Amino acid sequence: MPRKISWLTGGVLMALLILFTFSIFGADRPIGASTYVPYFAGVLFDLDPQKYEYMAEIEKAGAWEGVMLLGAFFGALFFSLFVTKTFRISFIPTLWKERKNSSVLSRLLWSFFAGFIMIIGARLAGGCTSGHFLSGASQIAVSGLIFGGITMATVIITGRLFYNKKGGEK
Amino acid sequence: MIERISHIFEVAASEGHGSIFTILFIGFLFGAIIQWARVDKFEKIAGFAMLEDMTVPKMLFFAIGAASIGLYFLIETGYAHYHVKPIMLGGLVIGAILFGIAMAIFGKCPGTGPVSIAEGRVDVLVGAIGGIFGGLLFTYAYPWIKPLMGPDYGKETLPSLFEGHETTVILLYGAALIIVSFLIPNIEYLDPEDKEESAEV
Repeated sequence: MPRKISWLTGGVLMALLILFTFSIFGADRPIGASTYVPYFAGVLFDLDPQKYEYMAEIEKAGAWEGVMLLGAFFGALFFSLFVTKTFRISFIPTLWKERKNSSVLSRLLWSFFAGFIMIIGARLAGGCTSGHFLSGASQIAVSGLIFGGITMATVIITGRLFYNKKGGEK
Repeated sequence: MIERISHIFEVAASEGHGSIFTILFIGFLFGAIIQWARVDKFEKIAGFAMLEDMTVPKMLFFAIGAASIGLYFLIETGYAHYHVKPIMLGGLVIGAILFGIAMAIFGKCPGTGPVSIAEGRVDVLVGAIGGIFGGLLFTYAYPWIKPLMGPDYGKETLPSLFEGHETTVILLYGAALIIVSFLIPNIEYLDPEDKEESAEV
């Protein structure tokens, strides 16, 4: 097996997986991911769905996505160990060191902060890269196209403002 | 705690959206494809924000373009159904901005996060804990947040706005995204710490 696949092979496989998941032979529903996070938080902290409206609203989607992402964890673990052989414990990505800083604390704090606002953003929008991009835009849903357009623009603008210029200091 | 976790599986199994095995199988493939193409990497997602790597938009555009055409035929033949999310304009705009900022800094999203944790990224695990607290805050604050998420413009799709020309719109959309995916320059940041090389297939 090749250690890595190209964007095209990856794109073909991902399209087939989207179709299988949508089809009645698969799950008869779209792929989604972000609902699982507030749902899992509610399970961890024992939030009663009868008391918290949002817990009741997301229970079904949250549970499905939780099981799906558990599968994703094992799929990725298997592939990182045996196929791509990229499994290693690491704290800072290479490109972060190149374009931001080499401080573990800085990377961990920024990760925590970004994870925090990422889930608030995804739940405000009602979806994330999986629900709005992969599944929403595949159905040509206007909501998915709005999300995709604004997210892509914000990603590029943030990338310009947040990181140092290539090959030098800010 | 164990009881609450096993309840997750009970809920998922009783939804009529595939058995636990099917859901885990879909997840396994999802994680495997993302890991194999390496698109969960910070260098691929934040790398797109820095315009150092175009793998993510190329793969996303192609997958969506191809899936949109395939999905249309599956739905027409009755083998799949639409599951369109509503246009909650306020929530969509503010949410997408917060999400985009977070994606550029974190270099992950909710689907690629678990993939990166599985390959040993501690910083992503810390980000996921941040996400758990974000989700907790959202659930607590939902009664106050909910009124700010509208107005709801309904579950529209682009083809439904062009009545009578749905098939044409879908084929043009799918073809356009596939063409764009090839036109986006094939720039890749190869991570020396992963001894990463360009893929051959």
